[in-house]
Amino acid sequence: MHVLRYFCLITMHRRIIFAVATIMVALMLICGCTGTTTDPTPVEKQQLRIATTTSLYDTKLLDHLTPIFEEKYNAEVLVVSAGTGKALEYGQRGDVDVMMVHDRAREDTFIADGYGIDRRVFAYNYFVLVGPESDPAGVKAMAPEAAFTAIREKGMADKNVVFVSRGDASGTHSKEKAIWKAAGFNYSADVQGSGDWYQEAGTGMGATLTMTNEKEAYTLSDIGTYLAYKGDLKLVTLVDEGDILLNVYSVMQINPEKFPETNSTIAKDWINFLISDDIQKEIGSFGVDKYGQPLFYAAQNDWEKIGVAEAEVKNPVA
Amino acid sequence: MIELDNVSKYFGDTRVLDGVTGKVNRGEIFAIIGPSGSGKSTLLRLIDLLDTPTGGAIRISGTEIHAQHEKDLSIRRMMGMVFQKPAVFNATVAENVAVGLRFRGASKSEIDARIGEALDTVGLASYRERRARTLSGGEMQRVALARAMVIEPEILLLDEPTANLDPVSVAMIENLVVRINRDLGTTIVFSTHDMYQGQRLAHRIGVLMNGVFSQVGTPREVFTLPASREVARFVGIENIVEGVVVSENGTSAVDAGGIRIRARSPFGAGEAVSLCIRSEDIRIAPAIRGRRVFDGNILPGTVTSVVPRGPFSRVTVDCGFALSSILSWKKVDDLDIREGSQVVVSFSPESVHVVRRE
Amino acid sequence: MYEIVEGVLEALRLIVTLDPDVMAIAVRSIVISLTATIIASIFAIPLGAAINFGTFPGRKSLINLIQTLYSLPTVIVGLLIFLLISRVGPFGFMRLLFTPTAMIIAQTILILPIMTGLTISALSAVDPVIRDTLRSLGATRLQFLVNVLKEARFAILATVAVGFGRAISEVGAAILVGGNIAASSFASSTRVLTTAISLETSMGNISQSIALGIVLLVIALGVNLAITTVQHR
Repeated sequence: MHVLRYFCLITMHRRIIFAVATIMVALMLICGCTGTTTDPTPVEKQQLRIATTTSLYDTKLLDHLTPIFEEKYNAEVLVVSAGTGKALEYGQRGDVDVMMVHDRAREDTFIADGYGIDRRVFAYNYFVLVGPESDPAGVKAMAPEAAFTAIREKGMADKNVVFVSRGDASGTHSKEKAIWKAAGFNYSADVQGSGDWYQEAGTGMGATLTMTNEKEAYTLSDIGTYLAYKGDLKLVTLVDEGDILLNVYSVMQINPEKFPETNSTIAKDWINFLISDDIQKEIGSFGVDKYGQPLFYAAQNDWEKIGVAEAEVKNPVA
Repeated sequence: MIELDNVSKYFGDTRVLDGVTGKVNRGEIFAIIGPSGSGKSTLLRLIDLLDTPTGGAIRISGTEIHAQHEKDLSIRRMMGMVFQKPAVFNATVAENVAVGLRFRGASKSEIDARIGEALDTVGLASYRERRARTLSGGEMQRVALARAMVIEPEILLLDEPTANLDPVSVAMIENLVVRINRDLGTTIVFSTHDMYQGQRLAHRIGVLMNGVFSQVGTPREVFTLPASREVARFVGIENIVEGVVVSENGTSAVDAGGIRIRARSPFGAGEAVSLCIRSEDIRIAPAIRGRRVFDGNILPGTVTSVVPRGPFSRVTVDCGFALSSILSWKKVDDLDIREGSQVVVSFSPESVHVVRRE
Repeated sequence: MYEIVEGVLEALRLIVTLDPDVMAIAVRSIVISLTATIIASIFAIPLGAAINFGTFPGRKSLINLIQTLYSLPTVIVGLLIFLLISRVGPFGFMRLLFTPTAMIIAQTILILPIMTGLTISALSAVDPVIRDTLRSLGATRLQFLVNVLKEARFAILATVAVGFGRAISEVGAAILVGGNIAASSFASSTRVLTTAISLETSMGNISQSIALGIVLLVIALGVNLAITTVQHR
């Protein structure tokens, strides 16, 4: 029972307890709440938490847009970059205010389940099949489905043909699975685990490209991330045409009815900010100076091409 | 001042103390002597409240010290203790000495002054700001002594304070113990396995053996009139002979394996006893026929060994049982004593101390 | 080879020129891990003392448990904290996920066992005679504790250094509960040395990674070097 006695003794020394408590509170203040306590602006800054698909982050598009937003709305944007699957998971747990993803099918489910509302499409681009210049599977300029089939066949025969998959339930991974399906394969039976030619990276787009480059393999990438990384890569674009390669980016807020603490006001501001004329122009021209071509296309006037309702690209949320 | 009433302490099944009873008077130096492992440290730790007795009571000035835990601190603060192993805090000498005063909330100026005095007393004034860990064992022990006495305890407990120290440090510490007792009137209880140290310093000695005080008395009593064979052996009486008391012409005589030894004894006939005879009291002379004037014990025998010991020799004679004496080298040479020599051994009845055999 | 040389040169340039990004990440790492270490110390040292000097049933098993927890995998701590502070978790209302506070909590929990255990070792290594001496000098329980801690101060200091080293070099929990956020304000960002190295390497920014790696190495080794120096003084 000596422990008890020590604690009794501690209670006797209130001054010490008080001192320790003071230190701890001070530490908490310094470390935990500095976001609100040390900012020079008297008005409390609003924080917007965004879970984003890696492509928007790795291309630095968000780095480009957030300062504009922060200044305009006196807010602080916190970006957690993860694959679409993980971003949806964060959304479902209410850990963020806004999600930026690119997987129509799963977005629909997410909205139907009541987790997300106010979806707007703000950008699109295309997926590309990239691979080594030597192209050991000989897929250059093929249709996407045919290229995938060829890679699978050659991969099973020739160990120099490797396909690196994101393997992380991201939007890109979903698209890849959709292409395998369109090519007539059962993903889990015919592709996954069918041999060493098919490897799952389990990581973001940038990391997957880096890995693919190291392995001189093939992978499916969104054009934006690929262009942003191209300088460091020896990979070339092999397939970039086909309706199935369309890549649509949406933004939506987490349903405040599910998670009342969610900062709905600033979330709406963000959505409207993205579909505003100025920012649409920013998105459409982002990267042109650096890469010679845009990484993303503005969705505003291309709603028919993308196949969504006009309201979904133009109408601000209220 | 300190009363030990049937104090016992078991560690698990091991009985270390098994009913120690005794008394330490105010202002005296009391030595607990006994062989290693006899429980001397345990007894001191019990007095200093560092351990709890399994049975019995210890009273200081009439208060039973283990009875109420609330009083632990005030009782312990009456006492200072120095341990066998020199141990200093990893700080300067001055800080080491200051610890007890700090605990008692003494003011800085008072601490400064008292440290100065205490370090002067132990002769370490010039080491004040030295790191205590860099000192020698003897110096550390003096720091420990200064640290214990600076709080001016009523009772100073010293647990084998000079064990493992060099002779110079031993002398210094012994000198300090005597001075502290004399100048401050501090009651001092110390333990030692060195019976001569006990003799040198103590007013009274308690011989701790087999978990009890076999004897408590002045050094003189303990050394000349040991209460038992074990005490006799411990206090350095080499010659111990077993026998049975018989009566002979009104004075006591003891039959030791067929040999009659005359002795003064309070015991009646038939009592089994041990005879304790100091080597110094035994004389050895060449066997010369026809001279039997000495009215004591005269036993013929054969020298079995002559072993040098410092400037002396220990001569052992077989007289039916072994007796040994200490002779100077010169005497050994003069008397031409060597192994196999025929000699007579003599000693007076008064030099034989008779104790009952348990 | 070229890449490494190039990377190291660029890394050195980033360090020498005190590149603001690298410095902000380094300072943030230090602030977060140091805070976690201080908080963990506030709990671990008294707890270690209580366990070391206490006598209660199950003390041995408790010490064994603590030692087992030394090898608590960092991602497990991260996952646990994530589940607790995620919005749907029991502490979700505090909105701690993806904040430096969350990282501090995770690191604190991560290093608590090893710091408690090492405190116990440090205190039990104090010579029993020193402990007896303190008691015999009339120490109150608090005075006793304070002085034993003082006597073990170098070992305790080493304990704190080990805790800090483990906290700052940890990546699994940091990325799970921190989210590796680079926000515009210093205090809202959760990008620390380890998570940044992980990210930059995966994005192919090798020189940035090397620079951050060197800084991390210097901090981790520097702290231990400093402690060793103090101990040998």
